[in-house]
Amino acid sequence: MIGARDVAKISLNLVVVYVVGGALLAAVYVNTTPIIRENAVREKKAALHKIMPEADRIEKRGDWTIHEKPAEYFVAKKDSLVCGYLVESYGKGYSGLIHLLVAVDTLGIVKRISILSHSETPGLGDGIEEGWFTGQFAGKTSAHMKVFKSPTADNIQAISGATISSRAVTEDAVKKALEQIANAHKGN
Amino acid sequence: MTSAASKTGNWELVRRGIIDENTIFRLAISLCPAIAVTSTMRNGFLMGVAVLFVQVMVNVSISLMKGFIHPRIRLPIFMLVISGWVTITDMLMAALAPDAYRQMGLYIQLIVAFASILAGAEMFASKNSVVKSLFDGIGRGTGFLVALVIISAFRELLGKGAVLGVPVLGGARPLLIMVLPAGGFLSVGLLMALFNWADTRFLKKEKGR
Repeated sequence: MIGARDVAKISLNLVVVYVVGGALLAAVYVNTTPIIRENAVREKKAALHKIMPEADRIEKRGDWTIHEKPAEYFVAKKDSLVCGYLVESYGKGYSGLIHLLVAVDTLGIVKRISILSHSETPGLGDGIEEGWFTGQFAGKTSAHMKVFKSPTADNIQAISGATISSRAVTEDAVKKALEQIANAHKGN
Repeated sequence: MTSAASKTGNWELVRRGIIDENTIFRLAISLCPAIAVTSTMRNGFLMGVAVLFVQVMVNVSISLMKGFIHPRIRLPIFMLVISGWVTITDMLMAALAPDAYRQMGLYIQLIVAFASILAGAEMFASKNSVVKSLFDGIGRGTGFLVALVIISAFRELLGKGAVLGVPVLGGARPLLIMVLPAGGFLSVGLLMALFNWADTRFLKKEKGR
């Protein structure tokens, strides 16, 4: 049986653990977040050039929001001529948002995509980072952004066991990024 | 074994964690990470370091709290402490080793569920002094680290023909299976057998068991 004294002691235990643990976590969080954010910015910059190697200049064009997250888009230039666009985007994955970059040419055809960060299941959903999956996007447009479980030439083949993650990348993040670029053009 | 722990020397505790009660090769627990992150030596080493850190911090924290925790919520409190330290490790690693974190960040959070950490807390730290728990944590953590480094070195050498990313096998074709999960099981099995063989051949004799 649990008596009143036990209840009091259990409550006290929990309060102390929460308060001490919370304080410790907060201290580490405050000190590491700026560095983590800086790393992310540097990584994004490196990734931009990596998926648009033909460009010699990448300039920011504007901002947009997706899944309530601020994202940027860029114009890529070679010899001061526009050679394509880069869009940052997010997709709603199996656990949390998948953060990625899409490089498209001036006709709206995907050149490459690059997954920046995600928290999909190790061994299943993290297959979205693999070359065979991301490579499928090259040469396709927003009309092709549909996931199939069987091999497909025109669309995107899902990672087996990770259809949700595959859909999040294809039908959510990349498709919306392509639509965003198309819309931004109409405005110009 | 725990009842006599108060009389066991500190270095004996460390030795025990590395050899006699090695988490992977002896207790055969926490095999999931031992297979998941050991396709390259670098990842195996980093995971081992992260686990060593969490194990030591958890052991010390639990030992400090042992007289204070109500027995009925012992395990939930252990889990809270473990998840707190894992989150701290996760944030520190993301800030200080971003490249490594990119590759294995997903696995760091899984340390919360490692049987080896909870075993250290429940079987040792909750019954022994802070100093003993510290050394037990160092022993268990180092044992895990050593095991992961051995497994990952073995797999990287056979599966990628490299040591720490530097190719060493020349033109020989590496065995792809060794970097796949199946190769992880094969490696753990083979190394466990080797460990047992070495143990009966050399160590037991010495002790006259």
